Amino acid sequence: MIQPPFKKILIANRGEIAIRITRACRELGIASVAVFSDADRDSLHVFLADEAYHIGPSPSKESYLNYKKILEVAQQAGVDAIHPGYGFLSENAIFVRACKEAGITFIGPTPENMESMGDKLSAKALMKKANVPLVPGSDGGVESVEEATAIAKKIGLPVIIKASAGGGGKGMRVVRTESELESAFRACRSEGQNYFADPTVYIEKFINDPKHIEIQVFGDTHGNVVHLFERECSVQRRHQKIIEESPSPSVPDDVRKKLGDAAVRAAKSISYVGAGTIEFIFDNTTKEFYFMEMNTRLQVEHPITELVTGYDLVKEQIWVAKGKPLSFKQEDIQQKGHAIEARICAEDPITYKPHPGVIRACRHPQGPFLRIDSYAYPGYEVPIYYDPMIAKVITWGDTREEAIDRMQRALTEFVLTGIKTNIVLHKSILKHPKFLDGTYTTQFIEKNFEVLEPELFKEVEDPVFLIAAAITAYQDRKSKDVRRLNVASNWRRIGRKIQLRT
Amino acid sequence: MTDMMKLKIEELEKRNDAALAGGGADKIAKHKQGGRLTARERVDVLLDPGSFVEMDRFVTHRCTNFGMEKTKFPGDGIITGYGRINGKLIYVSSQDFTVTGGSMSRTQANKICKVMDLAMKNGAPFISINDSGGARIQEGIESLGGYADIFTRNTMASGVIPQITAIMGPCAGGAVYSPSITDFVFMVENTSYMFVTGPDVIKTVTHEEVTKEELGGAVTHSQKSGVAHFTARDDKHCLLLIRELMNFLPTNNLDDATTLASKDSPDRLVENLNNIIPDNPKKPYDMNAVISEVVDEGYFLEVHKHFAQNVVVGFARFNGRPVGIVGNQPQVLAGCLNIEASRKAARFIRFCDAFNIPIVSFVDVPGFLPGKDQEWNGIITHGAKLLYAYAEATVPKITVITRKAYGGAYIVMGSKLLRSDVNLAFPSAEIAVMGAEGAVNIIQREAIAKAKDPAAERARLTAEYEKMFSNPYVSAELGYTDEVIDPALTRKRIIDSLEMLRNKRDTNPPKKHGNIPL
Repeated sequence: MIQPPFKKILIANRGEIAIRITRACRELGIASVAVFSDADRDSLHVFLADEAYHIGPSPSKESYLNYKKILEVAQQAGVDAIHPGYGFLSENAIFVRACKEAGITFIGPTPENMESMGDKLSAKALMKKANVPLVPGSDGGVESVEEATAIAKKIGLPVIIKASAGGGGKGMRVVRTESELESAFRACRSEGQNYFADPTVYIEKFINDPKHIEIQVFGDTHGNVVHLFERECSVQRRHQKIIEESPSPSVPDDVRKKLGDAAVRAAKSISYVGAGTIEFIFDNTTKEFYFMEMNTRLQVEHPITELVTGYDLVKEQIWVAKGKPLSFKQEDIQQKGHAIEARICAEDPITYKPHPGVIRACRHPQGPFLRIDSYAYPGYEVPIYYDPMIAKVITWGDTREEAIDRMQRALTEFVLTGIKTNIVLHKSILKHPKFLDGTYTTQFIEKNFEVLEPELFKEVEDPVFLIAAAITAYQDRKSKDVRRLNVASNWRRIGRKIQLRT
Repeated sequence: MTDMMKLKIEELEKRNDAALAGGGADKIAKHKQGGRLTARERVDVLLDPGSFVEMDRFVTHRCTNFGMEKTKFPGDGIITGYGRINGKLIYVSSQDFTVTGGSMSRTQANKICKVMDLAMKNGAPFISINDSGGARIQEGIESLGGYADIFTRNTMASGVIPQITAIMGPCAGGAVYSPSITDFVFMVENTSYMFVTGPDVIKTVTHEEVTKEELGGAVTHSQKSGVAHFTARDDKHCLLLIRELMNFLPTNNLDDATTLASKDSPDRLVENLNNIIPDNPKKPYDMNAVISEVVDEGYFLEVHKHFAQNVVVGFARFNGRPVGIVGNQPQVLAGCLNIEASRKAARFIRFCDAFNIPIVSFVDVPGFLPGKDQEWNGIITHGAKLLYAYAEATVPKITVITRKAYGGAYIVMGSKLLRSDVNLAFPSAEIAVMGAEGAVNIIQREAIAKAKDPAAERARLTAEYEKMFSNPYVSAELGYTDEVIDPALTRKRIIDSLEMLRNKRDTNPPKKHGNIPL
């Protein structure tokens, strides 16, 4: 048997990701330590870990972000490594350094990696140096029509002119033909002056059909960096992803190779260690892509990459943190089949407002080629303090169609009541022609799902549901009445006794 | 259905319609002016939806004097029956002012007696909604007999089942005595009044001019006489308030009031008490704030809110279990006990004792209110009622001394030797025979007189006395105080005590009844 890389790992996170990491630890024979806030005392990650420690009140600031307390617990529990999950402390260089000082291994990239990618402007400068494509445009303000024309010629139409101080759609013009350029340029300048008291404008390439494509990269401490192909995460509401898939239906094979190479170049240029993700904006018309930012951590949607490549990214993170070289080489990594992930959130499917509360019934889907990463259980109260995502449903199929059909089937099986969830929204996204043909962009939800209320709840209005609800209410009531009858009345009991005496 | 049966059903429907019409559309419209509800609407608001079952709908009077046989209404001006409040059985009567002014007839009294008898057999509360011009004069002494039957039943039921009266219109003459025997009287502002003799009689006899409202309105009875325990803005408010009160009460004197699931932790620390109670013993504070801090979810249903405000009484819950609360109010008359306060608290304590509701007292009392007026009106007798009530009660009794507990008033307010089960004191408590300055003036009179500087000597001796006696420890050393606690622990310790006393059994010697100094 292989010697485990660590004896004990503290997981500085909560919810499904804490459970995901606990599972990796258990498979590797490592003891796991959970931490929890007041609100999470009954959370599933607490039950599943080998040990659990309370770290403070419910607000994240006083618990999951309180790195001093977490380190204190880590030392008390005697762990030799900390896995931060995603969010919370996962990209906090100060925490990484504090771990090092405390003699505890941080499972993740180096603090230098985090710092070089933490600031967007400096990250872009680094990427330019590494020859990673950025959205083409003017370097700073553009003063004259002539200059604007020259830039537009260089980067090619269409372009977008934006007032530097602008926002809210004001001071923005898309230019598709050269003849529009002069008037658009002047309009933006004057709007900038009028609305924001600043006439400075800049020019950028206009992205026709923007898609969010990201590349999973992995580096080790021996200088190896590989990529594990792309994920498409364009289905977003309020700029947050809800459905991801891999491979992307829009990326041709030659572009896929270019994306991978660019991502490896980007990660290598900063000597990246561990799991990371390079996010690109992808123009679905021209199939061009441009660097947006790098996430120096494990992503929520990492399971779809795991399913199409067959590698366990969390275990790999742990081995890399121990100093082992990557267990796979670039040429070994293949994309096989198609994987989709749907994020199930405790939220209103129409307004997207979080909807915390007590889960009444909970039955997770089961069956072939399906993975559920969830921390929901019946009677669990979803707290108000954290991200509303409570489960991830991930399906795999030989083809994209098969993966989608499996996801539909799985969501139909998923019973989750007592709280509102976005399961209905997922189901209608999966049926949408734009999703089915893969042409959807990052504006897909806001353009197509604004007034779909009746559409979403078509199934729910079925009279069968109403009848079922009425029967449940009736039976509830009946069981309460029975209980009432069973409560012994002293009045009756003592009355009988008196009758017998006389 | 056969045709014959159809006809019979039609006849029933016709009779039902006649009964439901009350005194007729015109009278109902007039009655409803000013937001009043009809007798039937009142019952519907009071009881759980759809739970009311009416009895004696077709009863009519049998009077033949003054041509009365020509004016008969089914039900005879009162609606009686049973239903539920939050699932618990309740008997109810509701007078219909639109039918002969709701006047009390022999048959009306019979209807009331029928449901009261059922209430007594089944151990369930009786709620009477009164809206009546008084006796039905045409029936003469028969009507008076009806009243007497009701009064007798009220008396017999007292302390067996909770009895509640809502005054939602006039209530004059003999009619007032049924409400005053019942446990709680509710009145509606501006539309209800109660008096034994009305303004006209008063004018004839004493030549005093007084309006009905001033003489016996809701404000008068809730502030001056204490006849009304609760006042409401309108009919609906009044009926909902009764529902609220019923949640705290058991259905009879053998059963316990319902314990509800509490969301408030029994271990919750009440650190804020230290901010509410001032360091300076002469500074007033609001005892209501102390109570709200310690009870479940801060919810306190105050009884007699506007009467004798120097003492606070009402219902609340500790860990879901209903209790009666009595507290001195340092904000009013420095929390002194006087005649009204003694009467108010004594009656409340006896209600709780009769219905197995534990009593929690919060004590900050400098003594009895001095004054000629108090002595001449019998503070001795009235103060003794409070003492009697505390001493006689066999329910769990818990007393918390927050600050002053001096002299006779200390003894009265649920002190240990009046069979109180648990006596707690804050470190700020001063349990002593009297205030330091007063005591020094008596004990050290000669020493002060002899001193060169009597004022300085008095101050020195007072400080000395304070140090020796103005604390909870003398009493704790004697075992008169069971525990001196950090105020933050108050809630937890009260709940611990209630739990410890859950199965308390205590009795009084066999007797017909005690002779409380009435």
